[in-house]
Amino acid sequence: MYKWFANGADRTRKSWVRPVVTCALLMLAIVIGDCRAVSALPTRKVMAIPAFARKYGLPCSACHTAWPELNNFGKVFQDNGYQLMNDRDSLIWQNPSYFPITFRITPNWHRESTGDQPVDSIPGGGTGSTIISRNVTQAAFDLSGMDLWSAGTIYKNISFVLLPSSDATAVWHFESAFLRFDNIKGSSWLNFKFGRFELDNLISEKRFLFLSANGGFYQTYHFNVPGSINDFGIGDNQIGVELMGHNADSSTRYSIALLSSNEGGTNLTESNLPGGLPSNRSFDGYMAFTKSFNAGSWGYEEFQAYAYVGQRGTYYQTTSAGGGGPVPLVALGNEPFYRVGFAGQLHFKNLELLPYFMHGHDSAYLGTGLPDTAGLPIGAKAPTFNGGFIEGQYFVNPQLVFFGRFEKIGVTQQAFVNEGAVPGNFGDVTAYSVGYRYYPIMFSRGGVAWHNEYSISKSIGIVPLSGDGSGLPPLLPTNGVWSSSVFIGFDFDF
Amino acid sequence: MNRLKPMRFIATAIVGAVFCATFATSVLAQAPDVPQVGPLQKLQVKHMESHIGNITGSSENAKTNYRRYCVGCHGDYGDGNGENAVWLDPKPRDFTIATFKCRSTLTGTLPTDEDLFNTIARGLTNSNMPIWNHLSKQERADLVAYIKIFSPRWDKEKAGTPITVPPEPPVTLESISHGEALFTKLECWKCHGPHGEGDGPSASTLTDSQNNPIRPYNFALGGNDSRFKCGSTNQDIYKIFMTGVDGTPMPSFADVIQPNDAWDLVHFLRTLQIHRKSKENDVLMAAHGVIPPYVDKTPAPAPAAPADNKSPGGGQ
Amino acid sequence: MRTRQTLLTLSTLLVFSAVMFAGTVNGKVTYTGTPAKPKPIDMSKEPSCAKQHATPITTESVVTGPDNALENVVVYVSSGAPDDGQVPPQAVTFDQKGCQYVPHVLVMHTDQELKIVNDDQTSHNIHPLSKVNVEWNKSQPPGTPPITTKYDKPEFISVKCNIHPWMHGEFAVLKTNHFDVSKGSGTFSLPNLPPGKYTLTAWQEDYGVQTADVTITGNETKEVNFTFKAKAY
Repeated sequence: MYKWFANGADRTRKSWVRPVVTCALLMLAIVIGDCRAVSALPTRKVMAIPAFARKYGLPCSACHTAWPELNNFGKVFQDNGYQLMNDRDSLIWQNPSYFPITFRITPNWHRESTGDQPVDSIPGGGTGSTIISRNVTQAAFDLSGMDLWSAGTIYKNISFVLLPSSDATAVWHFESAFLRFDNIKGSSWLNFKFGRFELDNLISEKRFLFLSANGGFYQTYHFNVPGSINDFGIGDNQIGVELMGHNADSSTRYSIALLSSNEGGTNLTESNLPGGLPSNRSFDGYMAFTKSFNAGSWGYEEFQAYAYVGQRGTYYQTTSAGGGGPVPLVALGNEPFYRVGFAGQLHFKNLELLPYFMHGHDSAYLGTGLPDTAGLPIGAKAPTFNGGFIEGQYFVNPQLVFFGRFEKIGVTQQAFVNEGAVPGNFGDVTAYSVGYRYYPIMFSRGGVAWHNEYSISKSIGIVPLSGDGSGLPPLLPTNGVWSSSVFIGFDFDF
Repeated sequence: MNRLKPMRFIATAIVGAVFCATFATSVLAQAPDVPQVGPLQKLQVKHMESHIGNITGSSENAKTNYRRYCVGCHGDYGDGNGENAVWLDPKPRDFTIATFKCRSTLTGTLPTDEDLFNTIARGLTNSNMPIWNHLSKQERADLVAYIKIFSPRWDKEKAGTPITVPPEPPVTLESISHGEALFTKLECWKCHGPHGEGDGPSASTLTDSQNNPIRPYNFALGGNDSRFKCGSTNQDIYKIFMTGVDGTPMPSFADVIQPNDAWDLVHFLRTLQIHRKSKENDVLMAAHGVIPPYVDKTPAPAPAAPADNKSPGGGQ
Repeated sequence: MRTRQTLLTLSTLLVFSAVMFAGTVNGKVTYTGTPAKPKPIDMSKEPSCAKQHATPITTESVVTGPDNALENVVVYVSSGAPDDGQVPPQAVTFDQKGCQYVPHVLVMHTDQELKIVNDDQTSHNIHPLSKVNVEWNKSQPPGTPPITTKYDKPEFISVKCNIHPWMHGEFAVLKTNHFDVSKGSGTFSLPNLPPGKYTLTAWQEDYGVQTADVTITGNETKEVNFTFKAKAY
């Protein structure tokens, strides 16, 4: 690691790595020193706000290990339908000026650098210009997307989330929007959710601590074997219904979801942004079972087993009646796929470890790109992959958290369309991420986190999942495309 | 290309240094030692212990948990002046006075460690005190010890002796009727109202010991899952009126009720919770076919107090 | 022989002097300005008490007398007194009668027995709102025995009944036996003060405290008056 830092394993990183890493370490020293001086913080009465903290008077740290990540109390609160269950949850108990809304955005400076990108040898293209492999680097101050998050209770035991979310250019979509009937028949084992929501993943991608382009998502949560027409990601919010249950302290939980096979798409398409292709009419299913054990002074240890079974269409019913080529109307020829695996959340006092494993399997047809009305080509096999990560978080105190992650995905069976043309490890991904967040104020009405992160991924022969670089695959399928992100920003919400 | 490299290095280093300086000043400008009122003193966490069952809690281990969970309401100095206290009703407990509502000890005495331990785990219904049942037993014991550092009473006084709750006699119609007679005789209805709906003649003038308005418990409110602040079992009801709810207008009746009579009163009080399934309501239903069937023997209260703009239900 | 005689004479002389040399402080407590008018109390919510008062009683936080006299002011020696710690053996009684506390201000020594009696047909709850001493709250239905208790720390404690919100009294728990409560004429008297330098404190529940220093040299009578500034509300 040190040698890499000192010399640079790759000349594309040598020049800037040292000053940036030194800067981050310098800031860290200041932050740690600053933290020591603060043990019993004073508070300020400021008239601006985070919705749940504001509603109940609890500090952010009551529900969040380090916001946005939830701790166990926060998970129980969430499982109860955003209710403390003291008969004071209904909105009628709040001052009429209370509104369950939180805004969040992260202005930042970031640097994206991706190697092995096909670029013009002569910038602008021109006579004699060829396509060569080069590094593409961009850096600037920037904005993140924005969350306009509204969640809470409409009435006792009826809760909701409405989360319009935008990207950094203010293109909006609905990330979540659902109504949930909580504690049906007075039992915490029956809760019914209807709408668009995040799947009941133990390790939530929406509430984790990473923000950079290469680190701000779990590769495993969005990976598909290259060449497969499957577009599923377990980290994408899906749309449908969910029946979920838990015991009083959420140490035992189950969830069963019935979802449309449209990747959470809206308007009968497979995307929640305009212009998506039509979806099919079938359903996907997701099941998860979670159990946690109290490990005394260490904390609690939680395990989840999950399975997702879905279908995607292999061809479309089309019409050419309008002239100008066939227009797809609805996806047909559904072929199944599944994702199974386990997740863990392990606590060792201030250290939290999050292991994750997934085995993915697509129908052989999905790997051929052919309609399933025709026979399967000889030698076509179901594309499969195994992936997983181990994430670690260290909470120095509720105001300072260090995090890191190592992720690896290996394709175990290539899609038929690529068979023979690519090496066995085509599509494999290795990713690393490291960083820290410092929260200068611990307050119930607003939060600021100073976020520093460095993430790097290597994808073999494919466009990095972050989309960094030229967005085109490398010139050779054997090229290991390194893509790195440096992210420094202020994540704030109120 | 090679000529540009050192330049690029220097340029990036300068840019990096400028960023460092900007971020350093901006972060340090946020340095949170801005005093709110008067000079900020660092809280000395003196060593206090708690003993619940075979668990020993110590105050030093609870410092981070108190900061994480409790400070927003109860305040850094445990005086109930957390940043959100002004918007809460009822107000968060002021630990510096060491007066607690939910005890198994006599009025005016300190609660046992177990009383505080149970309150943390159970939360307080109709208030903003959450149900902290996700905390491990050790963590809760440590927090109980931490609460004790705020009041000097814990140094000098011993916790009161828990009252003995005798075994509950069977639920019979006689028991319930006798309880009803006691409810009238002891004038509970003056605050709680003849049907226990918190609308007695004195209900609207009640204030707690900090002079904040407070309403008496409304037995008829809530469904099958309704609880009391200090528990949800018959034993808990027994303890509530035998030890009084300190800090509120609810007095202790320990000197004026015999244990058997007390149980009769408990059975009657359960029948006031008309939406809650209970053995007591079953007995009444079996005898009279409807609840509540009791005859209103209480004297007619004075004309009702003028309606106020409080939230519905009057839960305190 | 001579020594014993001397000792006897000396001790007799001392005792004699102690008895002989004891001063008195008399005085009057008055107010300046216009006090708030006492409001009549509506006891219609408690008919059994309302009928005990032909004309409604008035609030007792400020009770005045002729010539601007102030009643119910506790005057006591707050420093300099030598007999702190002597707890009188007899109990003091606080009575609930006609939904009123009698006396309105009850003075007692720390650790002196306090007896609380309910002479009414209705239940009362005794809720002394102590902040230094422990706070307790007990129900006292009619016909139940007196509640006996005591306070171990000096404090001025506001006493209320939650059922009858107009009921208000005060406990003055003092560390000294040298105290008096001003009467309707505003006068008070502190006898049996041995020679010494004393600070007297006068306490009125709404108007706060006033202090005065007085020195007793022999068995003279000194006059110390207190004047409180009345509040209009």
